[in-house]
Amino acid sequence: MSSRSGPQSGQTALLFLPGDSLLHRANPLTSLIFMLWMISAAAVLPTIGTTILIVAGVALSFAMGVGPRVTKRLVITMLPLLVALLVVHGFLVSRPDFIPLVGPLTYSPTGLEYAAQVVTRIGAMLTASLIFVTTTHPGDILKSLDQRGVSPGVSYLIASPLLLIEPFSERAKAIRDAQRARGLDLTSTFKARFKALPALLIPLITLALSDLDHRASILNSRAFRAQKHRTVIDAPPDDRFQVWLRRVLIVLAIAQLGIPLLWR
Amino acid sequence: MALIKVEDLFFRYPQAKAPVLDGLSVAFEQGERVAILAPNAAGKTTLARWLAGLYPDGGLVAERGHVSMDGKPWPQWSAAERAAAVQFVGQVPSQQLTGCAFTVYEEIAFGPCNLALPEGEVRARVEQALAVCNLKHLAKRDPFTLSGGEQQRLSIAAALAMQPRVLILDEPTSNLDPESRDDFIAQLDALPAGLTVIVFEVALRPSLGLARRFMLLDEGRIVVDGTPETVLAHPRCIETLGMTAVARAAFEIREAGRWPEGLALPLTLAVAEQSFREAARA
Amino acid sequence: MKFDTRTLILIAAAIVINIVGGQIAHFVKLPLYLDSVGTILVGILAGPWAGGIAGLLTNLVWGLILNPVAAAFAPVALVIGIAAGFLARAGWFKSWWQSIISGAIIAVPSTIIAVPIIVYMFGGVTGGGPDFAAAYLLAVGTSLIQSVAFSNLGINILDKALAALIAWVVASRLPTRLTSSFGFFSYSKA
Repeated sequence: MSSRSGPQSGQTALLFLPGDSLLHRANPLTSLIFMLWMISAAAVLPTIGTTILIVAGVALSFAMGVGPRVTKRLVITMLPLLVALLVVHGFLVSRPDFIPLVGPLTYSPTGLEYAAQVVTRIGAMLTASLIFVTTTHPGDILKSLDQRGVSPGVSYLIASPLLLIEPFSERAKAIRDAQRARGLDLTSTFKARFKALPALLIPLITLALSDLDHRASILNSRAFRAQKHRTVIDAPPDDRFQVWLRRVLIVLAIAQLGIPLLWR
Repeated sequence: MALIKVEDLFFRYPQAKAPVLDGLSVAFEQGERVAILAPNAAGKTTLARWLAGLYPDGGLVAERGHVSMDGKPWPQWSAAERAAAVQFVGQVPSQQLTGCAFTVYEEIAFGPCNLALPEGEVRARVEQALAVCNLKHLAKRDPFTLSGGEQQRLSIAAALAMQPRVLILDEPTSNLDPESRDDFIAQLDALPAGLTVIVFEVALRPSLGLARRFMLLDEGRIVVDGTPETVLAHPRCIETLGMTAVARAAFEIREAGRWPEGLALPLTLAVAEQSFREAARA
Repeated sequence: MKFDTRTLILIAAAIVINIVGGQIAHFVKLPLYLDSVGTILVGILAGPWAGGIAGLLTNLVWGLILNPVAAAFAPVALVIGIAAGFLARAGWFKSWWQSIISGAIIAVPSTIIAVPIIVYMFGGVTGGGPDFAAAYLLAVGTSLIQSVAFSNLGINILDKALAALIAWVVASRLPTRLTSSFGFFSYSKA
């Protein structure tokens, strides 16, 4: 039993990867709260702690069969941040402990330390969210919410964009290519590219809104929000162990955030 | 009492000069299979939306007249009641999707789930709709990755899963290739006899397979209402929508003065052979 | 707060418009975000709360599918939608030049919310365009928070003014059949 929403839907723009690991089988709410616990830990731990959290998180992602995707995304997102942080805090922000490096260049050890602290903290939070989104299908999150009586309108607002983004990205590329064929040069001057923007954007926006009337009548005729609650089919399974695990993780997450505050 | 009744409906869109529906009256009985033929801009989609209870809606109201089902005008129906009574499938397949189901199965289940039916009942309805519309092999696919024809079948399946008493289809065969069109007509024929099906069409040949009662909608009114023979032979119908290929051949023969007096023009290949034989004997 | 079905669909479409707009800014290689056209459009058509929800959910959905860092900036997007809605309510989206001014005004609260997130959570960098401007300001001796604020405000004014203008162009061209169901839009009619 992989994703309950079917393996085929994994082909869309989602970061989700179908699989059969522990986290894939876990109730989406358990995975969600596990992510929140990890983010709260990353918020308060010192650099060494957040570094361990990243290493542990990446190891976990490999154990769950999503390692390559998590690592790739982590590196792509963190690399520019790492470079920018090292430059800004190591060399630019003026600090009392500037040490000459080469020529006029000076660097600050405390600045570099600070950069490392920020990078590992964001890195750990990012690892937590990547593990969550790669192992949890959004359709299953929505079903768990539905099951808990969350309004169908809320599910709609999350599900509909997730499904529509892929076809619209494709159309955006098609419009860009069509404009290029008509002589739009996307490598020319700043001014020319700036002027080209409306020609690219306005047709897409108009298209996105043109379905509005139809979709409204379809949803109404399928009795959308006609009843207070809706039936949930293929709801992700849950058990007493997971219910307790979630409670423990919530208490831990709050305590982690609260204790350092009391300490001061 | 008629199932759906339109009484003297006069409607125009806000800020438009000319009315789309100009004092239109018509009634449909339970179990009827009706084809409403209409040239472009005759008010086809607008009438379809009125019949389906999608209008009146907000600022879109009739200046005169109303549409009722079971003798009760649409505004008196609750959303859930109406959804279980009538279903409308529009023209552009991708616009008939809810846009919030990750699979074909969920798309069909969406409506029954909204009615808060028990899970077993939802599953039974979905399975049945999948079978009728030949979608079983696509159940796990993302609806937005389907072809136009597949999406069309999906939107009809989703409508059928609501188990409506009336099904209204706006140009249902326009996105189908000839072969799937014939399959589709056969599937419609196999629907429960009590279901009222109203089809809006511009194409003549598929309509003949779908309906026993025909109408011509032109300039916001029903111009003719009757058997296929009377409607398709009506001069206004010929002028705006043309004729089927066999009817055209017979018509040419009649124009040349070699068609027997009193013999009706054939509409389909099935009756044509007999008619042409009689014409040749005369 | 219960939105009608049309407003829900409008918000969902706006989320798609925002994310695809962001992708287009990327194709065109301009130091702009263009990820708030949909949010501002909802603010104009359906009011501040719908606009705020559109912004907030854009960043959460973006976080789910493309880049979890976007989720950290969800409060900024929320403020953009609310500000656009209140400006529309005050009649500041009636013409193209008013929309440009409104866009520039929206840039101010959105920068005020964004700067602390950038400085305290991300150590002053975002890995994007404004980093270069911030680095330059730092190099000439401005403090970190000021550098981040100035570089982001500059880009934000340009970005939000353009986004507001595009949103206005789209809204003013929508068919009456579509806009008649959004009563809030009457505040933006001349």
